[in-house]
Amino acid sequence: MRVRLEGVVKRFGATTALAGVSQEIREGELFTLLGPSGCGKTTTLRILAGFVDPDEGEVYFDDVPVRGVPPAERGVGIVFQNYALWPHMTVFDNVAYGLRLRRMPTAEVRRRVEQVLEQVGLLGLEDRTPGQLSGGQQQRVAVARALVLNPRLLLLDEPLSSLDAKVRARLRSEIRRLQQELRITTVYVTHDQEEAMVISDRIAVMRDGRVAQVGTPVELYERPADLFVADFVGTNNLLPGTVTGLRDGWAELATPAGVVRGRAARPLQSGGRAVLAVRPEALRISDGTPADVGVPGRVALSQYLGSLVRYEVEVEGGRVLLVDVHNPKGQIVLRPGQRTTVSFDPEAALVFPEEAP
Amino acid sequence: MPPEASCYSRARGTEVLLYLLPSLVFLAVFTYWPIVRAVATSLLEWNISHPQPRFAGLRNYIVLAADPVFHLVMRNTLLLALVAIPLSIALALLFAVLLHEPLGSLRPVYRAAVFYPTMVPMAAAAMLWVWLFNPSIGLVNYYLGRLGIPRVEWLYDMTWALPAVMISWIWKNVGYLAILYLAGLQAIPRDLLEAASVEGAGFWQRLRHVTLPLLGPTTVFVVAVSVINSFQIFDAVHIMTQGGPADRTNVVIYYLYQQAFRFWDIGVASALTVLFVVGLLSVIAAVVRQMERRVFYEV
Repeated sequence: MRVRLEGVVKRFGATTALAGVSQEIREGELFTLLGPSGCGKTTTLRILAGFVDPDEGEVYFDDVPVRGVPPAERGVGIVFQNYALWPHMTVFDNVAYGLRLRRMPTAEVRRRVEQVLEQVGLLGLEDRTPGQLSGGQQQRVAVARALVLNPRLLLLDEPLSSLDAKVRARLRSEIRRLQQELRITTVYVTHDQEEAMVISDRIAVMRDGRVAQVGTPVELYERPADLFVADFVGTNNLLPGTVTGLRDGWAELATPAGVVRGRAARPLQSGGRAVLAVRPEALRISDGTPADVGVPGRVALSQYLGSLVRYEVEVEGGRVLLVDVHNPKGQIVLRPGQRTTVSFDPEAALVFPEEAP
Repeated sequence: MPPEASCYSRARGTEVLLYLLPSLVFLAVFTYWPIVRAVATSLLEWNISHPQPRFAGLRNYIVLAADPVFHLVMRNTLLLALVAIPLSIALALLFAVLLHEPLGSLRPVYRAAVFYPTMVPMAAAAMLWVWLFNPSIGLVNYYLGRLGIPRVEWLYDMTWALPAVMISWIWKNVGYLAILYLAGLQAIPRDLLEAASVEGAGFWQRLRHVTLPLLGPTTVFVVAVSVINSFQIFDAVHIMTQGGPADRTNVVIYYLYQQAFRFWDIGVASALTVLFVVGLLSVIAAVVRQMERRVFYEV
C-alpha cells in the first residue's frame, strides 16, 4: 500500500507537533521517521494509526483519504514502544485476540497464530504470559500480534528502545528480514540514527514538526541537506568560522583552528558565518611536521580498536576533532600529547551557513 | 550458617524488635489485650440479674444460638453485604469509567458530586436520609408519587426499612470506591487500550477484555474495604431506625451495642464481639483468597 501525507498539521494546545508534513511512502518500503524527541515522529505515526486526526491536511492510503476512519478499519498493525502486551493473557491469546474478535473459527485461529509465531521464532511459548518472557521475546510477540491480521501497513514506534544493544542488533535484522519477506509497507519510528541507517529503505529526518530531509541512508550520510542532518546522521566534525572566499561552489573558511576549504552545500555569503562539516573517516593525521597543509593540533586521546584507531585531536580555539584511521596495521600510532596536523580532501568537506540558535 | 552470620542476624533481630516496639506496645495495649479480655468476658455470666460476674462456660454462645433476634440480625448483616456491596461496586465502576472519560469543563463538578457524600459525616448523612425517606413530606415518596407509585412507609415498613438503610449506605460509600477505581483506571497504560482498538475492540470489549481484568487488584481491595464497611454499619442504623421496625434493620454491631448498653448483658455482648471479629476476619480472608487466585498482579 502507498501512503501519502499532504500538508499535515497537528497542534496540542499551544505546541505545534507537526507544522505541515507532506510525504509519500512507497509500496513495500521500510520508511523511517528519524529525529530527536519532540520532533513529531510519534505524532505522525499516531495520525497514520488513526488515534488522532490531523488539524489540517489529509492522509491517503492508496489515494483514499482516511480522516475519521477508526484504527481497526485502516488495516494497520502496530508495535508499541513498550510492546503493550496484555499482561493477563497468554502469548497465544495476545496474538489471537484480533482474530477472535472477528469470530474466526477456532481451528483457523490456531493455524494463523502458529504460523505467525513460527515466523517470529516463538513457537512453543504460546502458553506463557508476557511476564514470563524476556524483553526480546515480548517484542516478538508484539510483532506477531501486529502481523497476524495481515495489515496493509505496519507501524513500529521505537520498537527496540528498551532492549539491550545485542538483542537490539539481532531484532532489527529480523524485523528487516520479515518486512522484506512480506513486502509490507512499513513506517518505523526511531531516534537512533544507526538503527535507521541499518534498517531503512528511506529515512525522513524530522525536526520541530517538519521533515528536514528525505533520502536513502547513503544520501543522508553523504549529502546532508543542512547542518542539522549533517550533525544528526552519523558523526561529523563541525568547525565554525567566517566565509573568506567563494568560488565555483567552493568555500574558504577562516576558523580559530586555521583556514579550511570545502564544498558549499548551501548558498553562502562572503563574510557570513558558516560551519564546515567533515566526517572522522575523511580526516588524515600526520606526525606533525609544520610544512603540512592542514590544521595543527595536539593528540588528546587515542583509542586502538583493532580495525581502526580513533583519535581526539585538540586544535587551536579549543575544538576537538574526531579522526578515524582505518586498517591501522603497520602504521605508527600517535600518543596523547604529540603534536600533529589534521588534513582532509576538501571534496569530503561540506560548508553550511550557520543556523540561528 | 557461619558463626559470624548468625551473630549478625541475632543482632539484627534485636534491632528490628526495637524499631517495632512502640507500635507493638500500642497494639498490645489497645488491640490484643482487649481481644483477650473480650474472649475471657464472653465466658462469664455478667448481666443485670448477675451483677457479680461468674464463670459460665459457653452459656452466652448457647444463648445467642437460641436467640431468634440474633438470627435476624445475622440475616440482615449478610443481606446488607450481599446486596449493597455488588450494587455499590457496579455503581462505583460506572462512575469511575465516566470520570475517566474526557468530560471537559464538567469534570470537576462531576467529580465533586461523586465524591461529596464520602466527606459528609455518616450521622449527618443519615439525618438527611431520614428526611428524604419521611413517608409524608419526604422527597423519595414525592417523586415516586409523581411516577404513580403508591406511598411507602420506608423506615417504618417491615419490608422496606432495610432497603432504605442500604440505599443510604450505598450513597455514602460509592464515591470512595469510585475514587479507588479511578486511580486503578489511571494506572492502566494507554497503549494497552489502543492496542485493543487497533485489533478491532469497541468500548465494551476493551472494558471487558482489558480494563476489568487489569482492575483486578483494585477490585480485591474494594471488596475487602466494602465488606469491612458493611459489617461496621452503625451510625446509619442508630439514627435512621434504631434497628427497627421489630429488628428488621438491626445488624451485628448495633445488636452488640444494644446488648451491652441497653440490656446491660456484658457477657452476651462480649460473646457477640468475639463472633463478630472471628466472622469478619474469616469472611475477609476467604474473599481475598478466592479473588487473588483469579487476579493478575504484574503489569
